[in-house]
Amino acid sequence: MYFDEFNVGDSFPVLKKEKITRVQLVKYAGASGDFNPLHTVEEVGEQAGTGIVAHGMLIMGMAAEGITNWIPRKQIKNFKVRFKKMTRPGESIHISGKVLEKRESNTIVGEVLACNTDGEVKLAGTFEAIIPSRDA
Amino acid sequence: MQKVKNLIGMEMEPYTFKVEQGKIREFVQAIGDSNPIYYDIESAKREGFENIPIPLTFLTAVEFWGGDNFLEHLSNFQVNPVRVVHGEQEYDLIQDIYAGDILTVTLKVVNVVVKHGSTGGMDLITTENKYKNQKNELVAISKGVTIHRH
Repeated sequence: MYFDEFNVGDSFPVLKKEKITRVQLVKYAGASGDFNPLHTVEEVGEQAGTGIVAHGMLIMGMAAEGITNWIPRKQIKNFKVRFKKMTRPGESIHISGKVLEKRESNTIVGEVLACNTDGEVKLAGTFEAIIPSRDA
Repeated sequence: MQKVKNLIGMEMEPYTFKVEQGKIREFVQAIGDSNPIYYDIESAKREGFENIPIPLTFLTAVEFWGGDNFLEHLSNFQVNPVRVVHGEQEYDLIQDIYAGDILTVTLKVVNVVVKHGSTGGMDLITTENKYKNQKNELVAISKGVTIHRH
C-alpha cells in the first residue's frame, strides 16, 4: 500500500490468535530465554497469588505479528507498548489497530491493542512506519 | 546493599550475540507468527531484505540469552526479583538486523523513579540497550521499564 491510501482513523483487520496454552509458554520461555518460573511453574504462580501468567513479551510479540500483517516488516521503524494486565493460559488474544496520525517524511503512526475476548486490554502501544509514495 | 537510586547511570559490561536463523524460527514459532519472511530467504528478499530479518521483538531474546542476568544484578540494589513486573517496552529499529549478524550490546540504567503511595511504593527502573552490528553501525535501541513493588 502507498502512503496516500492510509487515512487517519482507518482500522486494520483484527488478528485473532489461538488460545494460549501452557506448552506455548514453555516454548516462548525457551525461545526468548526468559525462564522466570512465574510463567511455567504452577507452585510459583500459586505463591505469587496470580497463578501462571504469560510473558508480557509474548503478547508484545503477538502485537508485532498483527502490525507486520498490516504493514511490511521492512517499513516498521518504532514499536512501543505499555503492559496493562496479566494474561493467563486459556485466554485468546485479539490484536487490533488503527491509523492515529500521518506525518511528514511519509511516516504514519498507528495504534495497536492486545485484548482478550472480553475486551480487557492487555497491552496498548503505538508503532511508526515509513510508507512509500505512489510515485517513489 | 545499595539504594535503588544508585543504579542511575550504571552500565553493564558489553556482550556479543550472534543472531542465528534457527533462533529466529524458534522465536516466531513460539509466538505463532507464520510470516514467511522469517522462514524463507526468498520471501524475505521479495520484501526488500538481504537475508532473513529479525522480528520486531526479537531483541528480547538477545538480551536474555546474551546478557548477564540483569534481574539477578538488581538484587544487589534492594530489588526483589519476585516483585518485579515489566511495565513498558520500546524498540527503535534503525537499520535492518539479519540472521548471521553479530550484535554488541550495551545496557545502561537511564532513570530510576521511586514512588510512594497509600498502598505501598514502587521503583520504576528504565534501562536502555544499544545494539551495534559487526560493522560497528548502531542498528537498534531498546528501552524498557521494570516496575518493582515494595
